[in-house]
Amino acid sequence: MLIIKNLSTSYGSIKALTDVSFKAESGKITTIIGANGAGKSTLLRSITALETPTQGSITWDGTELVGKSTESIIRSGIAHVPEGHAVISQLTVEENISVGSLFRVRKNKSDVKKALNDVYELFPRLMERRTQQAGSLSGGERQMLAISRALVSRPKLLLLDEPSLGLAPLIVEQIIQTINDLCRKTGLTVLLVEQNANTALSVADHGILLALGKLIADRPASELRSDTSLRAAYLGY
Amino acid sequence: MDIFLAAVFTGTSKGAIYALVAIGLVLVWRGSGIVNFAQMGQAMFSTYIASTLIINGYSYWIAFVIALIIGSILGVIVDLLVMRPLSNKKGSELLDSQAMKSTIPVIASLGILGVLQSSAGMIWAAEERGFPTPVSNLGFKIGKDVAPFTAFDLFVIGIVLTVLILTTIFFTKTGMGLAMRASALNAEVAKLSGIKTGQVRTLSWAMSGCASSLAGLLVTPSANLSPNTLDLILIIGFTATVVGGLDSLPGAVIGGLLLGFIISFVNVYLSPEDVFLAIMATLLLVLIVKPQGILGKKDSRRV
Amino acid sequence: MFKLKSYGRRNLYKSIFFALFFIWLSFSVEAYNQGQVAVTLMLFIAVASIVLLTGLSGQISLGQGALMAIGGYGSALLIVNQNFPIWAALIGSIAIAFVSGLILGIISARLSGPYLAGTTLVIALAVPTIANRFESVLAGNIGFMVDFKSPPAWVTQIFGELGYEHWQLIATLPFATLTFFFISNILKSRTGRSWKALRDNETAAALLGVKIGNTKVFVFAISSAFAGLAGALYGLRGIVGPSVYAVSLSLSLLTAAILGGVRSIFGALLGTVIIVFLPDWIHDVVKDLELSEQISNFLPAFFAGALLVLTVVLNPGGIASNLHHHKKKTGQ
Repeated sequence: MLIIKNLSTSYGSIKALTDVSFKAESGKITTIIGANGAGKSTLLRSITALETPTQGSITWDGTELVGKSTESIIRSGIAHVPEGHAVISQLTVEENISVGSLFRVRKNKSDVKKALNDVYELFPRLMERRTQQAGSLSGGERQMLAISRALVSRPKLLLLDEPSLGLAPLIVEQIIQTINDLCRKTGLTVLLVEQNANTALSVADHGILLALGKLIADRPASELRSDTSLRAAYLGY
Repeated sequence: MDIFLAAVFTGTSKGAIYALVAIGLVLVWRGSGIVNFAQMGQAMFSTYIASTLIINGYSYWIAFVIALIIGSILGVIVDLLVMRPLSNKKGSELLDSQAMKSTIPVIASLGILGVLQSSAGMIWAAEERGFPTPVSNLGFKIGKDVAPFTAFDLFVIGIVLTVLILTTIFFTKTGMGLAMRASALNAEVAKLSGIKTGQVRTLSWAMSGCASSLAGLLVTPSANLSPNTLDLILIIGFTATVVGGLDSLPGAVIGGLLLGFIISFVNVYLSPEDVFLAIMATLLLVLIVKPQGILGKKDSRRV
Repeated sequence: MFKLKSYGRRNLYKSIFFALFFIWLSFSVEAYNQGQVAVTLMLFIAVASIVLLTGLSGQISLGQGALMAIGGYGSALLIVNQNFPIWAALIGSIAIAFVSGLILGIISARLSGPYLAGTTLVIALAVPTIANRFESVLAGNIGFMVDFKSPPAWVTQIFGELGYEHWQLIATLPFATLTFFFISNILKSRTGRSWKALRDNETAAALLGVKIGNTKVFVFAISSAFAGLAGALYGLRGIVGPSVYAVSLSLSLLTAAILGGVRSIFGALLGTVIIVFLPDWIHDVVKDLELSEQISNFLPAFFAGALLVLTVVLNPGGIASNLHHHKKKTGQ
């Protein structure tokens, strides 16, 4: 279980997150929704230490994450797909995915091979394009690649930052369903940040609504889906 | 014809050395975004240590290996003591400006160069020393004629070829090599993949230090050793990286060889005094026509 | 560009104080020190040019020594070949250096960071080579003999009889004072602030209408003009030759700028004083230690390099930034 307590993060004098507290249950999909600038990305980046919180604690499976380095947080079984389908354009598809498994290779060589195959099964299009340079892929394929890089390390917690950004609805649907299946089959805990609240709430178990860095609502997804006033006020639909 | 061939061979063997220097510069550039002007100072220092060992009776090869190790260590020291603290420094108004961010480490490396050169002067005095070669530095004799190349030339080309092959294998076939490429291309994605980018960076400094020490050991026999002899080599190496493209390892090799040929031919067919002007002309030409180098990518922010 | 605003008046008073201080100083010390102060004033002009180029517009140059050489050789040629009087040769050297700076700037304006550093370093290294290559015109390794000659009558009337070093100081002072005044004003002016935008955020500057390329070239040219003047004065100490304008000069200038504070004219003065007087200070400290000549020869260079590294890592703003800590200075 991921426990966030009194988390505050600032960019210089700008308070991106103020006193946010919530829990994300293991094996479930928790989605973080809210308008632009609500602090959703900052939340994920604080978890993986790409940003340093000014106060608060983040515990995963009982271990405190604040103060640890990004690399050690990732190595403890947490994966983070940042926004903008971040892949290394100059490396090939296969190299990009391998990068995600580098830290496990020495101790788990056979499992790494299996993980690679699993990921290609999940995204056959990537298999076809294994030797292509990542920069030549379409947006949707790049997003699949970014997610593959994260999944190949067999994480227990997956942080996804706006996977739908800039992608066609059909692809988004495909990706979200893949994540959903993965979560239900393997018990992967997912923290899904999304601007497209509708899509996110359709697969999530639980929802966190942020606005201007503050936590507004912390409810089961079904409740958020049906709360029309909240949706209108904060999500614009 | 003989003169021409001799020029070609000298150009190749010297070019191989310049390629080494260029590789050292590119490794640090890709790993840390810095051009390390102290690089050949590090090489000079480790070559002095090798020279001292040889004078005291140790074999060339022991001194050779120790120099390479010391070169790597010097690289690691510079990274850990100077470059890392610089990149971690926050809250300095000076470092907030875009232009100064890339300039400040360059200035730091100049300071390090000064420290290394004056330390070498204090320890070993400024007189020039010779430096031995492990194989003959004179022309091969084939029958009655003297070949246009020396055993040493072949030795140099052989060593650099080996280094190139090993480096290529490292970067394309090993996990650490992939980690280094990833860290250089996109540090954030690398970190999010669990790569210890700090350690990888330090390794690139160690490799660069080793490569430049090797270059120093190979070039010194013909240049004599004093605190300042390798300054010109740094300039040539720098020009080679500009020609080849500062972020390209293959480019470094091409640039090094090209410069080796240019210098060799200017030396033979024009005059030694024109060599520096030729280097300068090459540098300015590339900067005006294709500033990112032959194999470099057009990243307008970097150039 | 130089409308005399409030900061203009303040700078005027500071400049007058600057001039008076050095006049007083010149009468209070002996010949050897007078010579050193003269050199300090000459190099100050060059270091101030680095404050403009690097501190204000963010372009690094390892070749200000070469621009000094251009000014020095320019004025020497005018004096020796064209029989110019010294003041005219100095003005000529400013013009020559300005034009050279324009050309250099056009080549370099597209470069930044390490590319610019490397290129300017190569140019700095080119000085001795070019001097030797074109020996017939540029007098090769030996160089030109030029000097300040003796003070004109009106100067002797005001200051009395002056020794040669004293005269060097007095002759250099007006140029140093003008440099102090002009550059202090540029730093505060609207033009200066637009150059600052180049340094801090090029994209933003472009969006605000600053013509990046042209501005960079212009700053290069102005900074070169000052460096050329410094070089001409420096050469008038006795020789204009390749050894006078070696690479170490460029590096010393940069070190002085960083040590003192690359964004402040006062820092430029501080840094230059340190660089000029460091060898003697070190000598005074270690003379009782009976160090070998080998060590004492290289000690000043060692300290200069070490100070540079320490300053860059620990205190990048230089000494001047520590002094300004209490004063709330907006903009710099």
